Amino acid sequence: MNRYLLGTAVAALTLSAGGAFADKSDDTLRVAFTKELESVDSYYNSAREGVVLQRAIWDGLIYRDPVTNEYVGNLATSWEWIDDTTLELKLREGVSFHNGEPFNADDVVYTVNFVADEANGAVTQNNVNWMESAEKIDDYTVRIHTKAPYPAAIEYLSGPVSMYPNEYYAEVGPTGMGTAPIGTGPYKVVSVDPGKHFVLEANTEYHDGPKGQPEIGRIDIRTIPEVNTQLAELFNGTLDLIWQVPSDQAERIEQMGDFVVSNESTMRVGYLAMDAAGRSGADNPFTDLKVRQAVNHALDRETLVDALLKGKSTPIHTACFPSQFGCAQDVTEYEYDPEKAKALLAEAGYPDGFKTEFYAYRDREFAEAIASYLNAVGIETDFKMLQYSALRDLNMKGEVPISFQTWGSFSVNDASAMVSQFFKHGELDDARDDEVLADLDIADSSTDPAVRKEHYALALQRIADQAYWAPMFSYNTNYVFTDEVSYAPTADEVLRFHEMSWK
Amino acid sequence: MSAAMPRATATAAAPRDPLLEEITGPTPGQMLRRRIFGHQGFLIGTITLLVLLAIALVAPLIAPHDPYAQDLMSRMERPVFMGGDWDHVLGTDHLGRDYLSRLIYGARVSLLIGGVAALISGLIGTAMGVAAGYFGGRVDMVVTFLINVRLAMPVTLVALAVVAVLGGSLEVVIGVLGLLLWDRFAVVMRASTLQVRGREYVAAARAIGCSTPRILLTEILPNILNALIVVVTLEMAHAILLEAALSFLGLGVQPPTPSWGLMVSEGKNMMLFEPWLVLIPGAVLFVLVLAINLMGDGLRDVTAPENRS
Repeated sequence: MNRYLLGTAVAALTLSAGGAFADKSDDTLRVAFTKELESVDSYYNSAREGVVLQRAIWDGLIYRDPVTNEYVGNLATSWEWIDDTTLELKLREGVSFHNGEPFNADDVVYTVNFVADEANGAVTQNNVNWMESAEKIDDYTVRIHTKAPYPAAIEYLSGPVSMYPNEYYAEVGPTGMGTAPIGTGPYKVVSVDPGKHFVLEANTEYHDGPKGQPEIGRIDIRTIPEVNTQLAELFNGTLDLIWQVPSDQAERIEQMGDFVVSNESTMRVGYLAMDAAGRSGADNPFTDLKVRQAVNHALDRETLVDALLKGKSTPIHTACFPSQFGCAQDVTEYEYDPEKAKALLAEAGYPDGFKTEFYAYRDREFAEAIASYLNAVGIETDFKMLQYSALRDLNMKGEVPISFQTWGSFSVNDASAMVSQFFKHGELDDARDDEVLADLDIADSSTDPAVRKEHYALALQRIADQAYWAPMFSYNTNYVFTDEVSYAPTADEVLRFHEMSWK
Repeated sequence: MSAAMPRATATAAAPRDPLLEEITGPTPGQMLRRRIFGHQGFLIGTITLLVLLAIALVAPLIAPHDPYAQDLMSRMERPVFMGGDWDHVLGTDHLGRDYLSRLIYGARVSLLIGGVAALISGLIGTAMGVAAGYFGGRVDMVVTFLINVRLAMPVTLVALAVVAVLGGSLEVVIGVLGLLLWDRFAVVMRASTLQVRGREYVAAARAIGCSTPRILLTEILPNILNALIVVVTLEMAHAILLEAALSFLGLGVQPPTPSWGLMVSEGKNMMLFEPWLVLIPGAVLFVLVLAINLMGDGLRDVTAPENRS
């Protein structure tokens, strides 16, 4: 028995020691993911982890500098709108994929036509369904046709739309791409253990694009769902970088002084969605404007930000993130006033409040705090915590009276990525307001920035006046890494391995 | 006690009768009392449980704060013994709610769930066990089969699945645990009934024409009661722990209801930096379950037939 125990202890020690050697000395950066990534193929997941890998393995036609927000060419060197719905791009020459396949117009045409076809089932249709098709002009010139005038095209081409090798993708499809991804990006994939372990290696033949050359030789990513385990591994030296660290823990690590803690804002906005259209029952209290206003007045956004979210979070009053194009900020704001909330509830015919189901899918702590604010004005909550997909299904069926939701806009810096996603009478639209729809239709398809701004503002004002949502706060994320790592996180919640180096 | 009274009077009336002198000495009641007060475990367990029960009953009177009152500006303040202030003796939780008040109200949840779940499963299990033991034959076969079916199901897994489908709430948790934990009642009650059904007094009752329900209620049940009480305490502790486990997994009692399992779960994230958030509710849970188990063990020792002679 004793010998057995000793053996196990020694084995454990050897294992952990073996892990601890990997760091600057062998040019391997060890990173943790919190969630299991469903597929590495970037069109077939909607996870933040997927975005991180996408930016490392693949390139887009265009690149948006995360600091200056300027668009520069990546796989395309120049582009030009030929008419309202046709974008012509000149491609970079001499680029090749990780498997040696040269990059040219055929790859662009294949990728665009594949993902734009709804039958192929790209997970986030909003990212790709604005494209009609692509057309080859010559080996290094392509045209992308949009379904309607789509001014945000450049933003999407520099974000979620990345270029795949046509021959390889035609052969292996999304499944093969998910297990053995091939791209043009600064990092090549060495191995994928789906959902658990990803090893990347610097692409030594990376083209001279705006991302710059990768400096760290090897990236070793493991999925570790439990934050405490991640921290323990960080302290032990078996991890070099963790991210999405909750503020409370990040604060304590910063006090310890042994690690670099960097806080950055993200585009993710937390809000309460209310069933104003009465989909969960016509007598649902949230169909009453006064009730929705009461909910808005019941929330102390400032305190939520100061005490819970901390960092670079800010209170939010609009149905979009302030930096997004068209996200007007001069809309009706509802200040924290529980007495007014109670009065509004009484006016609406609920002097003693009412009972409702309250759904949430993440950040249980925030959800509890929010529910507690609602309880304080008399809205009794039946708290239900579900998985994201389960809540989304329930929402699509119209069975959710009020829920705590968040949306990260896929880091797309345009209001269409948020407000148009939820207020155009889609399955997730709880408001179904025709006025909002009309304004959004104009704003989404106009090529005149002034017109777009004006109509987004009108839509956002109407949403705020009608209190369809209770927008609350923006998120921030904490990056914690050892002092051997040099990295300046950006405000879009994307880890960029190619911008990291050893000190 | 009442049976002892005339005997004592008789002894006093005729002290020299040698036959009667033999049975002087402690009465059964006195012997029981002596066994109770001589059994430390039983005493400690019972007193602790009674104290916790009293705390749960008068929670609104003794809780220093409203257990639901959130104050985000004073989150995770440390308890007094770790340098906190006396306003929040045991500190505050991740939403700035008073920890002591939540613990006190949490006692209600734990004891309510333990008590009611044990009651429900006790009724089901006892009815099945007694029926199987008394009637035997086909009834016994059916009940034994049901017990086997029930034993083949992992309780935690089934509870998790049911709660996941129905949604977690106090009522659902009590219901699920009550309907799942009857197996031990059934097994023990069946065995105990088998032991007493052949006794003379049962045969006598049958001979003078007592109805079956009457025999079950007045002859069988009182004689298997001590075994029943022991199982009740065990299952109560079991139910309390299961509730804590379900709540820890986010499938039990839903926030903001204070539950000790939920408190452990909510404190878990800060475990590395503020271990007391987990240790305090954990310790209280440990004490409660230990008290109930001590009391159950004690009851068995105190009332076991071999100790009566």
